[in-house]
Amino acid sequence: MSEGKVLLSAERLSKRYRAVTALDDVSFVITDGVTGILGENGAGKSTAIKIFLGLLRPTSGVALALGENASESIAVRTRLGYMPEHDCLPSNVSAAEFLTHMAEASGLPPTAARARAADTLRHTGLFEERYRPIGGYSTGMKQRVKLAQALVHDPAFVFLDEPTAGLDPMGREEMLALVRKTHRDFGISVLFSSHLMADVERTCDRIIVLQGGHVMHEGEVGRFTQDTQTVFIEVDANRDALMTALQRRGVTVTLEGGGLSIEGSDQSVYDHVRDALVESHAPLRRLAPRRRALTELFERQPVARA
Amino acid sequence: MSADATRADLHPGVTGTVFDIGYRNYTGAREGIRRSRLAVYKDGLRTALGIGRGGRAKILPIGFMVILSVIGLIMALIAGAIDRYTSPGMSRTLNLPSHSDYYGIAAMILFVFAAVVAPELLCRDKREGVINLYLVRPLSGSDYILSRWFAFLTVILAAALLPQIILFLGLLLSDPVPFNYFKAHWYDIPKFLGAGSVMAMYTTTLALLTASYTARRAYASVFLVGLFVITAPFTIGLAQELGGPAGQWVSMFNLTNIPLHVSDIIFGDVAELTKIAPARQLGPTVLSLWCALWIVAPGALLWSRYRRLTP
Repeated sequence: MSEGKVLLSAERLSKRYRAVTALDDVSFVITDGVTGILGENGAGKSTAIKIFLGLLRPTSGVALALGENASESIAVRTRLGYMPEHDCLPSNVSAAEFLTHMAEASGLPPTAARARAADTLRHTGLFEERYRPIGGYSTGMKQRVKLAQALVHDPAFVFLDEPTAGLDPMGREEMLALVRKTHRDFGISVLFSSHLMADVERTCDRIIVLQGGHVMHEGEVGRFTQDTQTVFIEVDANRDALMTALQRRGVTVTLEGGGLSIEGSDQSVYDHVRDALVESHAPLRRLAPRRRALTELFERQPVARA
Repeated sequence: MSADATRADLHPGVTGTVFDIGYRNYTGAREGIRRSRLAVYKDGLRTALGIGRGGRAKILPIGFMVILSVIGLIMALIAGAIDRYTSPGMSRTLNLPSHSDYYGIAAMILFVFAAVVAPELLCRDKREGVINLYLVRPLSGSDYILSRWFAFLTVILAAALLPQIILFLGLLLSDPVPFNYFKAHWYDIPKFLGAGSVMAMYTTTLALLTASYTARRAYASVFLVGLFVITAPFTIGLAQELGGPAGQWVSMFNLTNIPLHVSDIIFGDVAELTKIAPARQLGPTVLSLWCALWIVAPGALLWSRYRRLTP
């Protein structure tokens, strides 16, 4: 994992329910920034979050949140925020009143709670609507209130569980922008739980991939895509001859659309391409390096166990 | 020309400037778990009384408070009028309803009030998922339910004691020499405080326990009203039919009478509702312990339901 201040750490963490192992001896650290936690339903994402929040006791291992054992210190939650995936908002109170109450419930004095509620509503784009009952809000606005209640007490770290669930494309864009803003402008580190790789790729600095209770992958988002960078070539003629020439040079090449996709992007690859083009007399139309999306990466190859 | 002078020339009459001060981190006090509990308690009070909610949310709690207070006021007015237009002390000679009778008269209204309002404190949080947001804050399930219990206890105490205070003040002021009335009847104050507290703890615990089993307010309300209204005639009829010790124990399950027996013991008087209850013959110790059991056991059950709650 990258360098930086360690905010959460799991050491040989396991959680077993009667017949189900939700987390199996996993270890990882989460540092300052936006970290994505990816996995299918039942992969162990929610269990990990609940352990870090001190809501579940691990069967074995240690989970530290902001340096404290989460399952032994309820007080650490004054510096943690959580945005649940499911509905959690009262319909009959205004956003201003609800946020003030949530700030107080996080330990802020009443006057500070009111000021923080107003500030947070302004930063999440709900200031104009703050006195309307939440029941009348759109789905996008409700997601913003959910995010706002997680931020209202100015936590050091916030857990976002599927923050884009149920949003239309515009709402999703706005929510992802807010998540980025949460770290960039507010200085609050984020654990972004999602099963949508595109959201994680666009928002996060690092990812942890959980599958069946195991950490299958962890590291920088950029590194994943960098490692699997490809070069895409289109030629006007002699494509098959070019492909043969490349394969003869030991280059991994696949047909993709109307062109060829070559694994790797270092200098030797370009040298091989140059030589193969000369040999096959293929007139070059286009040559471009390309990064694979995370989605494509996980579809193409089973990820390596960390 | 300076920049300020230029701005003033271009926008004459403009006196203010809007600054985007950006995000400000909170550096003030964090009061921890104590503040969190207090916040849930305060929210419980506001929810029960409909404060900060729409107009409809206020109708029922305020309406019940008014009805209960009006009962106390009418009792005070009748006693005052009789004393004024006949002779001082005549109301006591006529044995008109007073502090010891109030809970017997108002018990059913108090129970219905609890049945209607208590589910609002728990059911909505459960149905709308707000409980999940409390549990990720520095609050345990125990903190949540205890704060809610104390909040509703405060409201029920207010509903139980306010009419008694009105009645006491009414009787005090209707006396030609209020100080003499106070000197002669001050001991009514600890009595109605004690009886009211027992009534409030009993009502609060049973109402919240019932509410904890459902996310639908209407179900809890109907069940509670049914519980209090139906057990009374059913146990009275069955107790009379059985007679003897069996009848006395069946009579103990008249849920309306359980706190009223304790009220009778505190006031040293017997209310109209409990006069015919065979359970009276079991004596003050059994009746007091029975009432305590009906507060402690449901309370423990309520606590155990929330103690290990996780989102």
